[in-house]
Amino acid sequence: MATMTEQLGLVRLLQLVSPCQPTGAFSYSQGLEWCVEAGWIRDHRELAAWLADLLDNTMARVDLPLLLRMHGACRQGDEKAMARWCDLLLACRETDELRMEENNRGRALLSLLRQLQVPQADRWPHLLGPCQLAGFACAAAHWRIDPCQAAVGHAWAWLENQVMAGVKIIPLGQSRGQQILLQLGSKVVAAAQEAAGLADEEIGSACQALAIASSRHQDQYTRLYRS
Amino acid sequence: MTAPAPPRQAGGWQARLHLDFALQGDRTLLVRNRHQGPLLVQRPLYPEEGACHGCILHPPGGVVGGDRLEIDVRVQEGAAALLTTPGAAKFYRSAGATAVQEQRLRIRDQGRLEWFPQETILFPGARAVLETRVELEQGASFMGWEILCLGLPASRARFDAGSLAAGLDISRNGRPLLLERLGIDNSRDRDRPAGLRGLPVCATLVATDCAAHHLPPLRALAAGLKDGLAGVTLAGELLVVRYLGDSTMAARQLFQETWALLRPATCGRPPCPPRIWAT
Repeated sequence: MATMTEQLGLVRLLQLVSPCQPTGAFSYSQGLEWCVEAGWIRDHRELAAWLADLLDNTMARVDLPLLLRMHGACRQGDEKAMARWCDLLLACRETDELRMEENNRGRALLSLLRQLQVPQADRWPHLLGPCQLAGFACAAAHWRIDPCQAAVGHAWAWLENQVMAGVKIIPLGQSRGQQILLQLGSKVVAAAQEAAGLADEEIGSACQALAIASSRHQDQYTRLYRS
Repeated sequence: MTAPAPPRQAGGWQARLHLDFALQGDRTLLVRNRHQGPLLVQRPLYPEEGACHGCILHPPGGVVGGDRLEIDVRVQEGAAALLTTPGAAKFYRSAGATAVQEQRLRIRDQGRLEWFPQETILFPGARAVLETRVELEQGASFMGWEILCLGLPASRARFDAGSLAAGLDISRNGRPLLLERLGIDNSRDRDRPAGLRGLPVCATLVATDCAAHHLPPLRALAAGLKDGLAGVTLAGELLVVRYLGDSTMAARQLFQETWALLRPATCGRPPCPPRIWAT
C-alpha cells in the first residue's frame, strides 16, 4: 500500500491535470484545425500517428525534459535556472500562436495558483506568467508530486486535450477518441522515460509540418480554436 | 599558380574559416580572413553601398564522411556583410564516418549579417552533423536561411539510408530566441507526419527587425506557393518562414522574394542579389 504522502501526491496530480482546470486548455488545437482542413488528418489513424509523433518528439525532447528541470529548479529555489528553462521552452515553441498559447495559459494558471497558495506564484510571477509549463512544474514541486509522475501527467493532459480537439474537428465518435487514448498510453510513459535520460544539449526537436500548420492556422478563414 | 592543397588527413578534410567584418570610416572591410584547409573567401566584393559581400568557396566541391568544416563569422559594431556560396553544398554517401559542419555567426551592436548559402544536399547514405549558431548582441540584425535537401529528388533517389543531425540555435545577449534540432536516423524519422512528412526539401528563413505589419504580403507569398507548402510566423522578435516540399528552387525563390520584400523595410535598401546566383 502506498504511503499517505504518495496517495496525496496522486490526488494533487489528478487535480493538476484535470480538464476542469480553468486555464482554457480546450480552446487550443495546436495546428490540428489546419491539419484537418488541409487533409493531413482525415481519420482516427492519421490523428493517432500525428499525436504519436508529437509524443516522441515535442513531449519527449522538449516539454518533459524541461518540466523535470523546472521541477528541480523550483525545489532548489533556483530562480536563474528557472528563467533559463522558461526561455528555452519558448525558444522551442515554433510559432507565434504556440507562444501565445503558452503565455495565455501561463497567465491563467498563475492566477489560479495564487488562489491555491502555491508560493512560487507570488515569488516568480514574471517567470510563471509567460510560461504555462513553469506554473505546472511549480505546483507539482510544491505539492510534492514525484517529478517523473508529473511528467507523465503533463503528457497525458496534453494528449487528452489534443484527442478531444481532434474528435471535435475531424469529427470522430467519443469512443474512437478513447481508443486513441488507450492506444497511446504506453507512449506517454515512454516519452517521460526518454525525457529523464536526456542531457541538456540534447533538448530540442524539429516539427516542420507542425510549424507550418500552426503558422497557416493563424490566417485560416474559419476557425474555432485559438491555436 | 595555385598553392598545393593541404594533405587530406586520414580523418578527412579539416577546414576552418574565420571572417571578421569591421566598419572603417563608412565602409565595411573584411579585416580578418584566415583559413586553414579548403574553405575560403577569395576577395570581398562591393556591388552596393553599405555592405561588403563575400562568397565562401569550398574547392573540393563536396563533403565526405570524416570531413570537418568550421565557419566562424564576426560582424563588428555598425558593419554590414552579406555572405553566400557559389553552389550547393554536397554531402556524399558515407562508408560510416560522419561529416561535420559547424557555423558560428556573431553579430555586434548595429551590425548586420545576411547569410544566404545555397542549398545543402545530402546524398542517400550521407552521414552529417550540421550546426548553426547565431549569436546576436543588442541592436544586431540578421537575416539568413538554410535549405536542406534530403536525397536527390530529381533522380528519385530518396534519403533511405544515412543520418542527419541539424541544429539551429539563435540567441540574443545569451538568451535563446529559437532552437530547432532535426534528427533523422531512418526512414521513419524522415516520414514523421508532424516533421518532414517524407518530403525531401525542408527550408527555414529567419529575420530580425520585422513587425506584424510586414506579414500580410509574406503570408500571401506563402499561400500562393505552387510547389510545396510554406508558413510565416513572427515568433517573438524573429520572423520565421518555413518551407516543406520537393523543390529547392521553390524554396529559394520564396526566400529571395521574402528578402526583396523585407530589405527595403528593414534596412532601407533594395535587395542586391549576388551575381553568382544568376550563373
